[in-house]
Amino acid sequence: MKKLSPVLAVVVLAVLALSFSACGSSSGDEGSKGGTLKVSFAGFPDYLDPQISYTAEGWSAMYNTYIPLLTYAHAEGTEGSEVIPGLAEDLPEKSNGGKTYELTLVDGLKYSDGTPVRASDYKATVERLFEMESPASPFFSDIVGAEDFLEGKADGIAGIETDDKTGRITIDLNNPRGSFESELAMPFTAPVPADTPAKPQTASPPPATGPYEIVESRPGRGWSYERNPQWEKNNADLLPDLPGGHVDRIEATVVSNQSTQVNDVEQGKTNWMFDPLPADRVAAVKQKYEGKQLRVVPSISTYFFFLNTARPPFDDLKVRQAVNHAIDPAAIERIYAGEITGSQQVLPPGMPGYEKFELYPFDMKKAEERIAEANPSDREITVWTNSLSPNDEASEYYEGVLRDLGFDVTLKVINPDNYFSLIGNTSTPDLDTGWLNWFEDYPHPNDFFQPLLSGESIASTFNTNIAQFDDPEINAKIAELSEQELTPEVEGEYAELDREVMEQAPWAPFGSRSLTLFVSSDVDFDEVIWNPTFSGDLTSFQFK
Amino acid sequence: MEGRSPWYFAYRRLRSNRVAITALALFAAIVVFVLAAPLWADWVAETGPNETHTVEKIEVGGETREVVEVDGTPIGPVWLGAGGKFFLGADGRLGRDEMVRLMYGGRTTLLIGIGSALISVGLAVLLALLAGYHRGWVDTVISRALDLLWAFPVLLLAIALGSSLAVGGLDLGPISISGGSLWVPILVISLVYTTYIARPLRGEVLALREREFVEAAIAGGAGPLRVMFGELLPNLWSKIIVFFPLAAAFNMLLESALSFVGAGVQPPNSSWGTMISAGFQLLYTAPLLTILPGAMITLTALSLNLLGDALRDALDPKSKVELEAHTGSFEPEGEVL
Repeated sequence: MKKLSPVLAVVVLAVLALSFSACGSSSGDEGSKGGTLKVSFAGFPDYLDPQISYTAEGWSAMYNTYIPLLTYAHAEGTEGSEVIPGLAEDLPEKSNGGKTYELTLVDGLKYSDGTPVRASDYKATVERLFEMESPASPFFSDIVGAEDFLEGKADGIAGIETDDKTGRITIDLNNPRGSFESELAMPFTAPVPADTPAKPQTASPPPATGPYEIVESRPGRGWSYERNPQWEKNNADLLPDLPGGHVDRIEATVVSNQSTQVNDVEQGKTNWMFDPLPADRVAAVKQKYEGKQLRVVPSISTYFFFLNTARPPFDDLKVRQAVNHAIDPAAIERIYAGEITGSQQVLPPGMPGYEKFELYPFDMKKAEERIAEANPSDREITVWTNSLSPNDEASEYYEGVLRDLGFDVTLKVINPDNYFSLIGNTSTPDLDTGWLNWFEDYPHPNDFFQPLLSGESIASTFNTNIAQFDDPEINAKIAELSEQELTPEVEGEYAELDREVMEQAPWAPFGSRSLTLFVSSDVDFDEVIWNPTFSGDLTSFQFK
Repeated sequence: MEGRSPWYFAYRRLRSNRVAITALALFAAIVVFVLAAPLWADWVAETGPNETHTVEKIEVGGETREVVEVDGTPIGPVWLGAGGKFFLGADGRLGRDEMVRLMYGGRTTLLIGIGSALISVGLAVLLALLAGYHRGWVDTVISRALDLLWAFPVLLLAIALGSSLAVGGLDLGPISISGGSLWVPILVISLVYTTYIARPLRGEVLALREREFVEAAIAGGAGPLRVMFGELLPNLWSKIIVFFPLAAAFNMLLESALSFVGAGVQPPNSSWGTMISAGFQLLYTAPLLTILPGAMITLTALSLNLLGDALRDALDPKSKVELEAHTGSFEPEGEVL
């Protein structure tokens, strides 16, 4: 028998090894497998329920558990903003002048509990979203019959037709919607079983379709994932473009002190901290770990103080303009330890349609003049903020600014777990002004205007238009632009809209923040993907 | 031979106790320090406790320095280098004067500690007199209510009450307190701590109720109010005086713990608890911001505890063992710390 030469044997073994490793594995899954990834969050997500969660924490937590029909590429930078098929076979076919979207659900998919994923689940999911008065309602209210369903005039949403046999899903819109494909890729309409109760399921999250399922939820304290048993058995082969993840278990814990989060990562007790570095640790941690365990990542975000335009004194334009003039960008820069880039507009740098302008340069004298002109009778103001540093300090600075302008100010510092639910409830008393930020959901300027500044988005709960800004002309322009595909001309119109909104000053924006990715030394740092929308991609974490 | 009152002997015993005198002197010094806050703020630091100086510069020994660097690092102690301004440096990225905040924060902490001690001791005495004098169903209702409060871990109960009241305030008939008011932590601490004083006092009243002088007063036609406040209360004074400094010390610690977790004094107002909380975020770059208010709390609580012990020894030396058993309920201090 002829012996194999050593060189040939090595080549054959390498080819065999590569062939085996490719079997049953999705793209991007090369590398080490196994282990338990420990991650920390400063606050518990608003909800562990895809239909109603609208915070960075919630989206990051559910990116790899609940897969929408379309999703975002598991990649960094602009590639990470690319919409790709999720549970759908392909991107939607558009017809009827951009008012009809047709998709086909991949055949044979199963939830983590073993029940099959049906096209009708999609319709039930969108209906669940409306039943729960989700903050995402404005994105989908253009679906034919959605308003009737919301008002209780119809049993179901007429504009969504599904066929469980073929997996066909047809969505009819009242008007064309330029950003609808991007909105379909947000987690809000990720299918869950049709019988999922229309109540928040944070304590017992619905079964998953993605590579991980949430197996334990301890609201306020943490949650854990394990591999979805149906992923390897079933879904992975059907969804070859989605990564399957490396680690077997993920344990997320709430560690409210960000300095403790840093220490835990340094000591290897935690493998990744979701939150940015606390301001006082930035310089030292950067010096020690940048390029090895730390990466500074720009974010497409706007940080601002909302001004409730529905209540005095901020129902007066002059008062709102005064506040904008009174905020000193140099002070904000120091409070955020140099991690914020000053900006006084709605759209952040990096977002299509962004064109820099500065309507309200820092000028305390002008601010005082505006206040003198307005002479507001109501000078009692409540400033709301969450307790995360340095947001709380920025709000304390803001409180001082308002005091300097002659207001009697009360500062309310709220636990980050409840902050957005509280200020998103219009019945919360004394909701005058406060700290807020907004990160892009998808790379389309409509994401910053429709939910945050359109009068149609004002809702009694889960309100995202916290400033309760309701200007008919602006509303009409937001609606008109939302119907159009994003062309350079439309981008120009968004830039104009940005200026028109800031002339009304419903916010006092102060900048865009850089974020940080900081992992422990045993994590393969180079392989970690920072998605611009979902931050750290849990499927990309692997141990060295 | 001229008769001497028990108070005279107590005073003499207290005066001869060096530890007590030292503790009293230390506490008095702390009180003077915090009362001098407006003087220091107006005449030396020339700034208020909540005034921010984020982008300002100061002259320190002929050198111009930023109060807060662009990377957010606050200036450290400059002692008298800037004429007393920023004597202990800035409190963080907002650039507030740490010395001024420490002094004003001490006023807040002492006010809450002593104010809530007054309320909780007053309430406890009233409940103890009612329960101990009337006995029967009055005693049952009061005792079970105190048991109910006792059943909750003191810190958790205080955090729960403090957190909810800090957001919504208190609107109870004619009483309206805003969430940021100092009355919120004062009332919360008073409420949760009353039971720890009322229970031992009730036992004392029950024992006194059986004594001959009480029976004599009742036989002589004295009504309940007269017996409670004319006969029983004077016999409780020595214990009340002992309880008071201990309660004040415990309440200050509780205030600090509540403020540390955001359920006590609300920003921008400072207390030693809020200062520890704020400083904790800068523990690695500016540890003094945590150490200083922490040291102040330690010294204040220590002086009050020593004073309480000395008062107990002076007023009723025979009851040392008995009172130690009662004040075993002060154990939650360990929990708070």
